[in-house]
Amino acid sequence: MKIAAFLPELLRHLFKKPATVDYPFKKLEVPKDFRGTPYLNTEMCIVCRACERDCPAEAIEIASVNEAEKRFRMVIHNDRCVHCAQCVDSCPTTPKAMHMDRLFEIADDDRHKMKKDWIYVRAVLKPKAAAPAPQAAGPTA
Amino acid sequence: MAVVRTLLYLVVYPGLLFLFVYSTFCEWFDRKVYARLQNRMGPTHTGRFGLLQPIADFFKLMAKEDIVPEASDKRLFTVLPIIGLAVVSTAGLLLPVWNFDLANPGLTSFSGDIIVVLYLLSLPTLILFLAAWSSTNPFSTIGGARVLTMLFGYEVPLFLTILSPAILADSWRLAEIAAFYQAKPLLLLTNLLGFLVAVIAVQAKLERTPFDIPHAETEIVGGTFTEYSGKKLALFRLTFDIELVISSGLLATVFLGGFPGGAVVGFIHFVVKTLFVIFLLSLLRALTSRIRIDQVVSFAWKYLAPLAVLQLLVAILLKGLLS
Amino acid sequence: MSFQVPIGPQHPALKEPISLRMTVEGEVITDVDIRLGYNHRGLEKLAEEKNWIQNIYLVERICGICSHSHATCYVQGVEKLMELAPPRRGLYIRYLVSELERIHSHLLWLGVAGHEAGFDSFFMYTWRDREIVMDLLEMISGNRVHYAINTLGGVRRDLDEGQKAKILEGMVTLRKRSEYYFHIGANEPSFVGRIAGVGLLPKDKVVALCAVGPTARASGWARDVRKEDPYAVYGELDFEVATADTCDVLGRVVVRVKELLESYKLCEQMVRNLPAGDIAVKAPRKVKPGEVVSRYEAPRGENIHYIKANGTDKPERLKVRAPTLANYPATVEMLRKGFIADIPLIFAAIDPCICCAERAVTLVKAGSGEESVVRMSDLRRQAIARHQNAPVKRNAVWPL
Repeated sequence: MKIAAFLPELLRHLFKKPATVDYPFKKLEVPKDFRGTPYLNTEMCIVCRACERDCPAEAIEIASVNEAEKRFRMVIHNDRCVHCAQCVDSCPTTPKAMHMDRLFEIADDDRHKMKKDWIYVRAVLKPKAAAPAPQAAGPTA
Repeated sequence: MAVVRTLLYLVVYPGLLFLFVYSTFCEWFDRKVYARLQNRMGPTHTGRFGLLQPIADFFKLMAKEDIVPEASDKRLFTVLPIIGLAVVSTAGLLLPVWNFDLANPGLTSFSGDIIVVLYLLSLPTLILFLAAWSSTNPFSTIGGARVLTMLFGYEVPLFLTILSPAILADSWRLAEIAAFYQAKPLLLLTNLLGFLVAVIAVQAKLERTPFDIPHAETEIVGGTFTEYSGKKLALFRLTFDIELVISSGLLATVFLGGFPGGAVVGFIHFVVKTLFVIFLLSLLRALTSRIRIDQVVSFAWKYLAPLAVLQLLVAILLKGLLS
Repeated sequence: MSFQVPIGPQHPALKEPISLRMTVEGEVITDVDIRLGYNHRGLEKLAEEKNWIQNIYLVERICGICSHSHATCYVQGVEKLMELAPPRRGLYIRYLVSELERIHSHLLWLGVAGHEAGFDSFFMYTWRDREIVMDLLEMISGNRVHYAINTLGGVRRDLDEGQKAKILEGMVTLRKRSEYYFHIGANEPSFVGRIAGVGLLPKDKVVALCAVGPTARASGWARDVRKEDPYAVYGELDFEVATADTCDVLGRVVVRVKELLESYKLCEQMVRNLPAGDIAVKAPRKVKPGEVVSRYEAPRGENIHYIKANGTDKPERLKVRAPTLANYPATVEMLRKGFIADIPLIFAAIDPCICCAERAVTLVKAGSGEESVVRMSDLRRQAIARHQNAPVKRNAVWPL
């Protein structure tokens, strides 16, 4: 036990650069595999609905717009999204139709503005490139 | 003309306005040093280097809703912050930086003003206790009880250590004490022990870590200030800021040789010396963790009071040797 | 004079809502009453509505600090039910993350302990160092808090050589800094004076009140699931169970510090001995009927999940016993005869995670103090009755 054990450490820090970052003005880099917001590559989506089924937050919604044209609409509710990237894991196609980007400053004052939607025609992949049928898709695909 | 001068003296310099500006600057300095000691930034964005942050905080609080609890003693509750501010600002007028003439004692510098300053610095503690008691909140009540318990711990060592240099200088007037030590700077070294004890006691008086027990937020929420909000809280915080300036000014007068060299140089002395004392106080704040109320009292009486008595003895013996 | 001091549900020392009602005489506590239920979220019921995969992310959100421990505990149980054997590389990565999480949780706790004792410098330094491990976790898993690295049958992300090097580097820095700060922290008289001899919990009380985790180990009761019932990779690793026998808050600090150093060792071992191979196997969507109890040593103590499957793709029942819940009776014992000034320290010393422990609601009548557990059907009946009597709100607008 000694008096003022922290003194040398405190005085050393007096002349050091602060460890904190002046956040809104300076930003830190997020790592390469950061899980930001999900987005869809419409050219690859075969509408298997695996992402919709596995999404723990029920943030993905796929609805049919025009049955005849095989036209679908996917809505991602970023206000509900928990950024777990399970949709990317569940996506059976190669390359994947679901992706995560590195955006993290997505807060908004209106939850309706946080929706993202895509209207697209279902992709028909050649058997060679196509992954197994949606029902057989494992969670770790 | 005399009326205008007096008014300027009271309101502008060194009265309320100057004290307001300088005490907010001191709060900024304290916060910045504390943050840098902890490897943080401290205030950065309001004004240059965040200099205006304490002022912004003050005005923000002034604009907030002001709630007076139903069960409280409303008149006392409202009037106490104003009295507290008035008391410490009055103490500010007595520091021998401004408006004193060594040869002619006046209203702001007279024999015995050191006692008056100490008395005026003791009053905020009592006001704090009354404020806590009048707000009838269990947390405030505990905080108020702690304020008084702590008072019995640090007040005696503080008085003893501040008065012993005065005994050595054979004067009860701040300006004369300062002049005595300016003439014989080596004697200041004999008061070093007293200075350290006084810094710790002032830390306790200002209720800063490790003595922030009366308003320890993790234990009793806001403690004495739990029910205070808006303007009244802003005034209380300003009171504490000014008390910080006045106490460090008092320590600088008594232990660091005062502020020689007329109005301008003296003022520079004042700024440098008070900031030095405030730096020591911030360092102490960063260095320690909050102790318990029983530990405060036993620490004060086991260590601080004997050291203060020792300092007093040294002063008396030295005085005998010198004469 | 004796009066009641309410600590919580909203209080600066509590980061989550809980109500501690202290009866105090002066500064001394004579009686304590803990009231839970301010943060009940109905997670267990919700889990019955979600499939096995969705539930990983649900149980992860039981807690923010020990998110990985709940997810791992759940995944371990489900894998047992599915009779899956995850590949060894996957297991190593999973438990590497869990040790990193222990480091981050203990560093966080040390900072909080410093803050509760009013020692903000210590708090700032430990939290600054905690950023190192947070960055490592973000790099490995892609997120700082909810790592979501577990999946049924393994983990979701692999480690590459660069990441392994960064982890080892981080461990070296952390060990150096931790040892230095704990050395000077243990020598700061005002800090040690505050935590030594506070919140005494003798060993026999630990056993009687079923305390778990560092709280129990600080009283010399060496119980650690990793050692006693080694799950997955812990049988092959070299580590020691940290204990202290001072039975007070100081002992709990010491135990956590020792565990930190053990965790650095464990992380280095796991990174160095990382086996090659796959990181996951494929899991079926449905589970055969059965039930399982899964145990896991979370940073705060033993975490228990009970899972019952009925042959569908959803669990029939998921029961979570978080370590904090097991420590509440011991907390009451520790707080008695203490000082008001010690409440935050003692309460923080069990590292409470209040929303972890919120599992059921008891209704207490304010007047008589009579307690009753109300079933959902009763609640619904009461709600309907209340609704029928209430006047119709014509201008009500849905706020969203």
